[in-house]
Amino acid sequence: MAVTPLQDLRPSNGVKRKDMKKRVRKKILYPPLFLLFFATWAGSLVFPGVSGAIKLPVLENAGACMACHASKDLVISFKDKEKMSVFVSPDDFIKTVHSALSCTDCHQKVSLESHPGRVLESRSAFAKEASGACRNCHADSQLKAKANHAYMAEKADAPLCAVCHGAHNVRRISEWKSSLRGKEYCLTCHRQSISKTLRSGERLSLLIDPANLASSVHNKHDCSDCHAEYNRDSHPVKTFFDSREHSVSVSEICGKCHADKYTSLRGSIHYNLSFHVGGTLVSKGNPKAPVCTDCHGFHAVGPKTTYETLSGVPCRKCHEDIFNIYAASVHGMSRAKGEHRAPMCSSCHFAHEIKFTAMTDKIKAACLGCHKGVEGEHKKWLPNAELHLSVIACAACHAPASEKGIYLQLVDQKTGEPFTREQILPLLGTSSEELSRRLNAHGQGLDSYELSYILKQLNERGAGARVTYLGRMDVNKYSEAHRLSLKKNAISECESCHRKDSKFLKRVTLAIIKTEGGMERYTLQPDVLSSVFSMLSSRQFYLLGGTRIALLDWAGIFIVFCGLLLPIAHVTMRVLTAPLRKKGKSEGSEKGEKG
Amino acid sequence: MNKIFLHPLLVRIWHWVNAVGFIVLIITGIQIRYREIANFGTFKAAVEIHNFFGFVVILDFLLWLAYYVLTGKIRMYVPLNLKKFLKGALKQARYYGYGLFIGEENPHHATADNKFNPLQQAAYFMIMLLLMPLQLISGVLLWDIKAFADWIGLLGGLKVVDMVHVAVFFFLAAFFFVHVYLTTLGTTPLEHIKAMFTGYEELEEHPK
Repeated sequence: MAVTPLQDLRPSNGVKRKDMKKRVRKKILYPPLFLLFFATWAGSLVFPGVSGAIKLPVLENAGACMACHASKDLVISFKDKEKMSVFVSPDDFIKTVHSALSCTDCHQKVSLESHPGRVLESRSAFAKEASGACRNCHADSQLKAKANHAYMAEKADAPLCAVCHGAHNVRRISEWKSSLRGKEYCLTCHRQSISKTLRSGERLSLLIDPANLASSVHNKHDCSDCHAEYNRDSHPVKTFFDSREHSVSVSEICGKCHADKYTSLRGSIHYNLSFHVGGTLVSKGNPKAPVCTDCHGFHAVGPKTTYETLSGVPCRKCHEDIFNIYAASVHGMSRAKGEHRAPMCSSCHFAHEIKFTAMTDKIKAACLGCHKGVEGEHKKWLPNAELHLSVIACAACHAPASEKGIYLQLVDQKTGEPFTREQILPLLGTSSEELSRRLNAHGQGLDSYELSYILKQLNERGAGARVTYLGRMDVNKYSEAHRLSLKKNAISECESCHRKDSKFLKRVTLAIIKTEGGMERYTLQPDVLSSVFSMLSSRQFYLLGGTRIALLDWAGIFIVFCGLLLPIAHVTMRVLTAPLRKKGKSEGSEKGEKG
Repeated sequence: MNKIFLHPLLVRIWHWVNAVGFIVLIITGIQIRYREIANFGTFKAAVEIHNFFGFVVILDFLLWLAYYVLTGKIRMYVPLNLKKFLKGALKQARYYGYGLFIGEENPHHATADNKFNPLQQAAYFMIMLLLMPLQLISGVLLWDIKAFADWIGLLGGLKVVDMVHVAVFFFLAAFFFVHVYLTTLGTTPLEHIKAMFTGYEELEEHPK
């Protein structure tokens, strides 16, 4: 059984201070003290030179103290009104390493004349003063004999001796610590409120709540199962720059057992992807990219179900804005109502192998994974349903309040695979930075001609690959994809998109996929969808009524106008020349009559 | 007045089905392409009607093609003798541009096997054997661009196929006005139209 610090100093109701004082002086203290004095004097006569060295068991030399402190009802009050039991168990004390000490060896400020005269500020002040007595016998060299003890002892805010070692139940370390099994050995110190200062100045708590450990899925493991370098014989002192470095280091440990998860994590967006601006990887030191402990904690690792609740899902720690949108969505609200089939973050994004999803079919696959038969449902009412489902993200319609736009993506026509930035750069003979500058040339985005010129260059130098732009509709912000609504609210009016003035066609983006995942976005001028040059650039993107080419329309108006003008002109001529024909007829009639 | 049998029943059925189909396709085509301007109904209805009548016109065209090929009458659409055709076309153009106004006789006399004057022959050759197949094929490709993605790719991409479909639509819409006008150039303004119902056309008697 573990020993709780200051366990023997529990406050309780009991004898009043004045009564106790009187009793101590008149009836209890004086006679035994006299005897004690006499015995000491006699001893000094029998064993000259060892005066004061003779230590009798406390029960024999502290009868005066124990006359009161053996009472379980004895309590003292502090100025802060807190009460504390001052009961000292004779049975326990006699077993301690200090059993030969007298009370005043430690409690040197206790005066029989005044005891218990002083009233201390608080329990902690009392504990501090009491622990200070340890230093009377235990020299610095002893305290610093072990590196970790030295580290703790040197700290200004080091735990008091009694916190770890107890007060009146102090036993030799060798007597009890070696008998501790598993976690209890480590928890001797780590259940205390200890911490260390990292190089950055940050404080790292080393406190481990035994209750957390007990409720963890790892509660059957010993500390050294994870902290392999630490055992009874070895306790290296590790230093870290900051808590982030500590977390990354600790998370490496998880991979020892959870190799599959760890491998998935290494291929995930959290670990490997760099975002378009500013973002970097865990592997590149992005302090915001999560490692194992950021989601699972250190010692309170819960079962899988812990992370599948609205309150427990760890994603919200970093993605709170998205989580709030999700929570207000049809999925989030269903989940809140107890519908466990409603998806959580990991249902669509997975827990560890989180991939970049924009411009991919991954999320759509997740949607269709639950919404079985949804393709058939769309076919019942949506013309070209299969086409719509392949080029429009589910959220574009099912998050009706979201802002949407058209994304053009370079793809290899032969394989249908995205043509990545890493493939583009050598073909254009440019660097990543130069390409970004070129694609942002005017600040307003490339126009159709410039876009087609890039395509031309790629295809001229493409070594057989035929590159083209493919278009699809998606939400403009990742977070908007979570704003899913009820089916009845989904956009189902064709006119929302199939018209020249559709607001969804106003924002056109060039999406360049990166080999390691992720995407760079470059704004394009909206005319890339409908200018004459779009015949060359976005020849594979065509939206009925929405991407019509203005020049073709004007040519059409001219053609139809000519078709209309011809009959009108001819009729006009017929009307104007009618007298001629009448005259011809009458002349013909006259000729016939003469003939 | 002499009556001449010009239009067999099958041709008349084809013609009127085609006529109705054309009108519906033109209206719904405008609705689909210019939704923000033309609002005859919902976009979805326009697409569905356009698709339906598109296939009606395709079947009708196949009926026409089968009839004319199997009977050999397809020859009346094809100017086999180029010299004769050019000579006749000039003569006919002169008639429409001058002779008609001064009361000259139409140089072409329609028969059941030779209904078209050289200009009509050229126009219908272009329309029936070039524009219509182009329009019908591009229409089918656009009807299901996912299923016909490979064919569309071969033809130069979606925008090219769409451009062809729309351009032919403009030509056919323009010709529609000309065609309707030409029907009024019979012996009476309604004579040609009447003939397309009855099959018989009354010919004006000319002094020998």
